[in-house]
Amino acid sequence: MKLYCCVALALMVAPALAAESFETRLSPSPLTDGTRINVTGEGEVRVSLDGNKLTVSGDFHGLASGATTAALYDGLGIAIPGPKAFDLTATPSMAGTLSGNVTLTAKQAAALRAGHFYVQIDSRLAPDGNLTGWLLPPHPHLAQDEPVAGPGVMPQFDVKQK
Amino acid sequence: MTKLLAASIFTTALLGASAVALENGPFTAEQAGGGRALFVANCASCHGARLQGAGEAPPLAGSTFMAAWGNRSTEELYNLVKASMPYGNGNSLDAATYRSIVAYVLSANGAKPGAVALTGNETVRIAAIADGKMPVIADAPAPAAGAARPATSYPPGRFGVTVAGSLKSYDPVTDSMLAHPKDADWLMYRRNYQGWSHSPLAQVTTGNVKNLQLAWSWAMNDGGASEVTPIIHDGVMFLSNVANTVQALNAATGELIWENRIGPAPTRAYGATRSLALYGDKVFVPTTDAKLYGLDAKTGKIVWQTVIEDAKEGYSNTGGAIAIKGKILVGLTYCNRYETKHCFISAYDADTGKVAWRFKTIALKGEPGGDTWNNLPDEFRQGAETWIAGTYDPDLNTTYWGTAQSKPWTRASRDSGAGATLYANSTLALDPDSGKLKWFYSHAPGENFDLDEVFERVLVDHGDSKDVLTIGKVGILWKLNRVTGKYEDSAQTLFQNVFDKIDPKTGIPTYRKDVQAAKVGDWISSCPGPAGGHDWPASSYDPRNDLMVIPLHQSCVLMRAEPMEKKIGVGGDAGSQRLFEMPGTDGNLGKLTAYNTKTMKALWSFQQKAPFLTGVLTTDGGVGFVGDFDRRFRAIETLTGKTLWQTRLPTSVQGHVVSYAVDGKQYIAVETGLGGGSPVGKPTTLMPGVHHPNNGNGIFVFALPD
Repeated sequence: MKLYCCVALALMVAPALAAESFETRLSPSPLTDGTRINVTGEGEVRVSLDGNKLTVSGDFHGLASGATTAALYDGLGIAIPGPKAFDLTATPSMAGTLSGNVTLTAKQAAALRAGHFYVQIDSRLAPDGNLTGWLLPPHPHLAQDEPVAGPGVMPQFDVKQK
Repeated sequence: MTKLLAASIFTTALLGASAVALENGPFTAEQAGGGRALFVANCASCHGARLQGAGEAPPLAGSTFMAAWGNRSTEELYNLVKASMPYGNGNSLDAATYRSIVAYVLSANGAKPGAVALTGNETVRIAAIADGKMPVIADAPAPAAGAARPATSYPPGRFGVTVAGSLKSYDPVTDSMLAHPKDADWLMYRRNYQGWSHSPLAQVTTGNVKNLQLAWSWAMNDGGASEVTPIIHDGVMFLSNVANTVQALNAATGELIWENRIGPAPTRAYGATRSLALYGDKVFVPTTDAKLYGLDAKTGKIVWQTVIEDAKEGYSNTGGAIAIKGKILVGLTYCNRYETKHCFISAYDADTGKVAWRFKTIALKGEPGGDTWNNLPDEFRQGAETWIAGTYDPDLNTTYWGTAQSKPWTRASRDSGAGATLYANSTLALDPDSGKLKWFYSHAPGENFDLDEVFERVLVDHGDSKDVLTIGKVGILWKLNRVTGKYEDSAQTLFQNVFDKIDPKTGIPTYRKDVQAAKVGDWISSCPGPAGGHDWPASSYDPRNDLMVIPLHQSCVLMRAEPMEKKIGVGGDAGSQRLFEMPGTDGNLGKLTAYNTKTMKALWSFQQKAPFLTGVLTTDGGVGFVGDFDRRFRAIETLTGKTLWQTRLPTSVQGHVVSYAVDGKQYIAVETGLGGGSPVGKPTTLMPGVHHPNNGNGIFVFALPD
């Protein structure tokens, strides 16, 4: 099995000395043809981890109804949902900003580095999730139709060799 | 998203709700009464007259429907039906019709009408008004025999040879021709027995491809999914259409020579076989009503026909056929109901249509592999369809087929425990003379997410190593020794979180612990989702560069296992789905990548918003071709992935690109097509702003100017 770690998530080996960055695109939460009319919008979130201090900032727009809550969640893995970890502050409207300052435990910091953390914004018409994005280390945002060498951006789920 | 987990509904809770007095539904008796006829006209051909579901059309009444929908709102049901139904033609009916159909579906689940008409905006929890018990009055009559699916508007007309004509001459197709096809021909699904989808033609090059022009085009039957491969022999194109219509066209001019509308009109989502087969003096047509026809290649007249399986029980064939040493091998699809029968691959004498052998793709009790189904009774072991015709190694006299996942989709719904559910999601190596199994390899033992490993098997030699490569919905490119079936290597082509271990010696994957522990009612994440990874749009193997160029799709799903009543005649997929963006993709659903099959390393890749909906063609001119959901057909440089030329076509570019030559001139042919299953359905949900017309099946042929 060839493991392509184009997005380096192996930083959990040792705490970094400098602030670490993470980012995500916010996109409509899990939806169906029946809910997509209410599950709209997009956004971006940037996160800085300095020691155990996490600073979150971001923006969003295009919601079909006003944002009600925003939070950081600690998933079971990349793209695998889990419980809420921290509340964030979001503008209570269809476009705006979100922010937060929280302190992570060592275990939470490791989970963040492994790609388990995600941001979720709920809204009035999508109370179970309107926008979601998994926090990953900064990675190239490839241009449309422009070939790159290798497999491209591919977050690496922690596949283990037996 | 997390709240969805907490909101998981278990069947017991829903059944308990039936004891509670139901509120009146948010619709009137007039709406439900009128909805009955509208349901029959627009929905019953797929979902069944008794709303029991069939194939990929889920049940719309009873415990399975209530398990999926009980805790959801009437607004969501209305929005879903309006946005996506009839299949492939969402928003094609007026709002009053959608409201009436939804009212009828609710009433068919025991909901009682109220005084206020349904608007679609009511957020009433369905379990509060319905219990899944169908009143007699709601039992819709069956659609008239042969009724077309009105919303997809198959044109009325007679069946049979509708355009009589005859080829001036026809050189019968021999075993030697199939094993060593002329450069100018495209005699089978993937052009050669090895499944390469590669043309040795080199008139169109990286230098001149920018000059490509439309040579001719041809409108094909609408009214059903169309993902076809044109077959070309000696300047004649044999084309399969919706409604099992076959046409012979002059491949240089597009002039129709003969047409046989075998029929029947399409009654389900899948409308046309993916590929015809040629052998001797005949064209072989596996049909959507699970028959196999042998047509006279010169005239299109039926020479013989045989029943593969009973279409009245839901069986079908859309995967095409392969001709091997005087036998026509076909698969079978829609084996997802609980029955005493099971899916199989079968072979027929090319001269007579007489069945030669059958290989059942489900291991029953007492048979080898029969102990991999958690001791389920035989009738509850279903699935393992063969959606794609196999490939063949003449030297080894072995044919290679992929099988689909077992049914229902999830372990919890199937009650199959951790069993591998053989021979689902496997590569099968069969003796084409006898149908005997030589070896098998299970790529995803006990599959859980509608992640088939059923697609193309590509045969490649690396020195003395004879390999078979395949890639399925998880997006892992597998390499096996095709003599022994032993695992050799694998490569991950896009993000996946389904497996957390892959044995480097055996290739056996291990599902995540939460997947293994999932119960009915749990929402479980899967990346990729059911559109793949990789789906039926096939990869191409370029032998000059040892490259597989692979179309990929990047999205994820939360899937919930639904309960499935263990009863003969009941069945389906039993999985609810909610789609979301794959992390790290910036919302790009489409990805095209090229892998060296010796090193299993990616040479290049690029991504785009729209997913690719055609198989890839590579050529000796160094040019590759591929089409997409957003109507673009493009040429790329095979070695770099750089786009060299592109054009927009009338609707989604879907099917299999081929190349052939007539009188020394090279042509590139591609289909525009509708339908196409998950590779079309999922992006339709995820990219509501990208539109293409809901008609427009057709063939487009390009060439360099004279």
